[in-house]
Amino acid sequence: MDREKLVEVKNCTMVFPGVKALDNVDFTLLSGECHGLVGENGAGKSTLSKCIIGEYRMTEGELYIKGNPINIPSYTVRKSAEMGVAIVHQEFQLMEDMNGLENIFVGRYEKKGPLIDWKNLQKRGEELLEYLQCDVDLRVKVKHLRTAEKQIIQLAKAILDNPQVIIFDELTSVLQGEGIQNIFRIIDLLKHKGIGIIYISHRLDEIFQCCDRYTVLCDGKYINSGYVKDIDKPELVKMIIGRELKNVYPPKNDTFGELVLQVNGLSSPPAFKDVSLEVRAGEVVGISGLLGAGKTELIHAIYGNHKIAGGEIKIQGKSVKIHTPKQAVRHGLGVIPDDRRKLGLNMLFNIKDNTTLASMKQFRKWGVFQNHKREADSAYTVNKKLNLKYYSLFQLVNKLSGGNQQKVVIAKWMLRDCDIFLLDEPTRGIDIGAKFEIYSLINELAKAGKAVVLVSPELEEIIGLSNKVYVMYEGKIMDVVEGDDITQEKIIHDLLGVEEA
Amino acid sequence: MNKQEGVAKADWSKRGLKSFLNEWMILFLFIFLFLISSLSSAKFRTTENIMNILRQASFISIIALGEFFVILIGNMDMSVTSIIGMTSIYFAGMVVNAGVPVFWAMVIVILLAIAVGIINGALTVYGKMPSFIATLTVMNILKGIYFIYSRGLPISGLPDSFNFLGAGYIGFVPFPVILMLIVAIALHVFSQHTELGRSFYAVGGNVEASKLSGINVKFIGILAFVLCAVLSAVGALGLTSKTLSGNVSIGENLLFDVMTIVVLGGTSLTGGRGKVFGVVIGALFLQVISNIMILMSINTYWQWVVKGIILIVVVLIDSNSSHD
Repeated sequence: MDREKLVEVKNCTMVFPGVKALDNVDFTLLSGECHGLVGENGAGKSTLSKCIIGEYRMTEGELYIKGNPINIPSYTVRKSAEMGVAIVHQEFQLMEDMNGLENIFVGRYEKKGPLIDWKNLQKRGEELLEYLQCDVDLRVKVKHLRTAEKQIIQLAKAILDNPQVIIFDELTSVLQGEGIQNIFRIIDLLKHKGIGIIYISHRLDEIFQCCDRYTVLCDGKYINSGYVKDIDKPELVKMIIGRELKNVYPPKNDTFGELVLQVNGLSSPPAFKDVSLEVRAGEVVGISGLLGAGKTELIHAIYGNHKIAGGEIKIQGKSVKIHTPKQAVRHGLGVIPDDRRKLGLNMLFNIKDNTTLASMKQFRKWGVFQNHKREADSAYTVNKKLNLKYYSLFQLVNKLSGGNQQKVVIAKWMLRDCDIFLLDEPTRGIDIGAKFEIYSLINELAKAGKAVVLVSPELEEIIGLSNKVYVMYEGKIMDVVEGDDITQEKIIHDLLGVEEA
Repeated sequence: MNKQEGVAKADWSKRGLKSFLNEWMILFLFIFLFLISSLSSAKFRTTENIMNILRQASFISIIALGEFFVILIGNMDMSVTSIIGMTSIYFAGMVVNAGVPVFWAMVIVILLAIAVGIINGALTVYGKMPSFIATLTVMNILKGIYFIYSRGLPISGLPDSFNFLGAGYIGFVPFPVILMLIVAIALHVFSQHTELGRSFYAVGGNVEASKLSGINVKFIGILAFVLCAVLSAVGALGLTSKTLSGNVSIGENLLFDVMTIVVLGGTSLTGGRGKVFGVVIGALFLQVISNIMILMSINTYWQWVVKGIILIVVVLIDSNSSHD
């Protein structure tokens, strides 16, 4: 089969002040293929894609789009768009209060005289959806749409100008189950129309499910490229992190203590109803469920940050009232929220101040003043234990990588010496190497006798780490699986809400 | 020394000269401005003139420090001018018309200010109103109330001894300057070295993360407005003391200077960043500008133009810098 080279990057080097983000990288995208671009965070994936769309101008190297050499100094995002290159980002770049139709066409309205030609736009919008074979109500405000539907709107917007190259930048990181399958279906569809797709994702399973070829980057260097069908997952992982990984998940802790956290019939309609769960000291309890199953709301409700309509929470056997996070903290709970930038960290604070934020009382001098020296020393000790990579404790956290930021959030609660850790998607947007570190951290917490509640959209993670799994479906606990019964088949069966025959 | 087991030493040396220079940019600018002014005007560099600048900057500093805490948590208090007017007129009214002792009148106006602060805070925190609108509304309501009370007329005849607050000297240093220093040092220690003080920075940096870390963010929100109102009232008493009469218009036009000073002092309008002594230096900076313009006999209206341009430049820098 003769395929056109849609994008060709030769010897691309990208230098930022002090850092070589890309070092002599080659990359080729053919028409009608889905090409997985893989590597850890900071490996250079997004830098390369930004060079291709003209957001960055490569320091050295050549770029060809559809065989045409590009004059790098004058290359811009606008020019790449004209040449048929589009990108769909992981974060939503949508106006929440406008409807889907307007979001697709904003800035490119068709007009009838001075007025917007809504009828025609509606028709074209429907055509776009038909092309994608999706059904989304374009008249509804985007904020009322589900995550998966918002992604469709983003896609529709991207294909508006009939691009021939589309970059999927971690598009599926906010999606689950059906949503991801739908994206795969659309990729297949676009491929058959001869469009080339650059697919960036942290989830390696997806690379094997939807990509034809792959290119691996590591520390800004080109490692390898080839056909996905010729390799298996361990080989790919080895290329990505530059070493072999055995035992992804550490052996689970199996000595449990007292019942530490009990939740009895907790309700908060419409998010969840009548949820009961039990967590013992030293136990990792997983909560699995699709998006919208009420997992995050449940975590926040236990933590006093989400209104509850009824039910009871018992800590160390005693019934407690938790209405605010402050009370939760006092009862020995600590939360690692799903969005660490928005909920977990203060981006204007340095590492030390973020680490000590929840335990400032430990560092009082004469009852009122903060002892900054002791704070810094303790922050140093705990972050050392977590193997945090940083230049100085006094650097702001916003420049740390995702994995290291997450470690600071965990350090905050370790310093506080919490008994119960509520982890909501602790590995979201973190590269593989750091993920494994977080896994062994969770394991160590359990070994130290902490009670851990773990929410994650990645089933493999839940299975690999939990002693017990509660499966939620539409706000209800469908099943509890323990020990050796924790298998993929069993949980998927429950996840989809399939009734037992 | 005190090497406990497992306690390691943090790397204090790596605090970064660059970030220090960045944070204290206003100090270097101020020193520069001061040197230029001293060199170019003989009248400027007299002790008398410099004490005068310090004295004039003192009460406005105290008021700006109140606004500082509100801006630090990412809000804005537009009602300071009315709190100043209210304090001035009711204080004078109580002392002159009702014969309340000066001390008790001061206590009462401070309590009044606390009440206004709580209202501002409650509207913002519990009522979820944008602070700009909540305090703008409170500003007008207060203004209406004290204009009804005073019919807009000043109340003079305060006892001469009260003059010490605004015009007294200890040695050769004006009393207001000493008061300002005491307030500033206390607030500096509060903001940098107490849990409550650090919480203002935490809330300003990220409300949600602070809440999830167990900080009572609602309390901090209200406390900021209370601090602002109380410090405004203290400033108002000082301004009243200078003329020995209560005056409703005493705070007019001050809001603009207060905002300029706070931002000039390196406080971020989006919250979470700023320093108490930055604000004090901001006040001195603005006062030196006014002073040198008067000494050079430039029309006062030009001050408005110059101050306006300064605010634009400072906010432009704040909005466009990456703050690393």
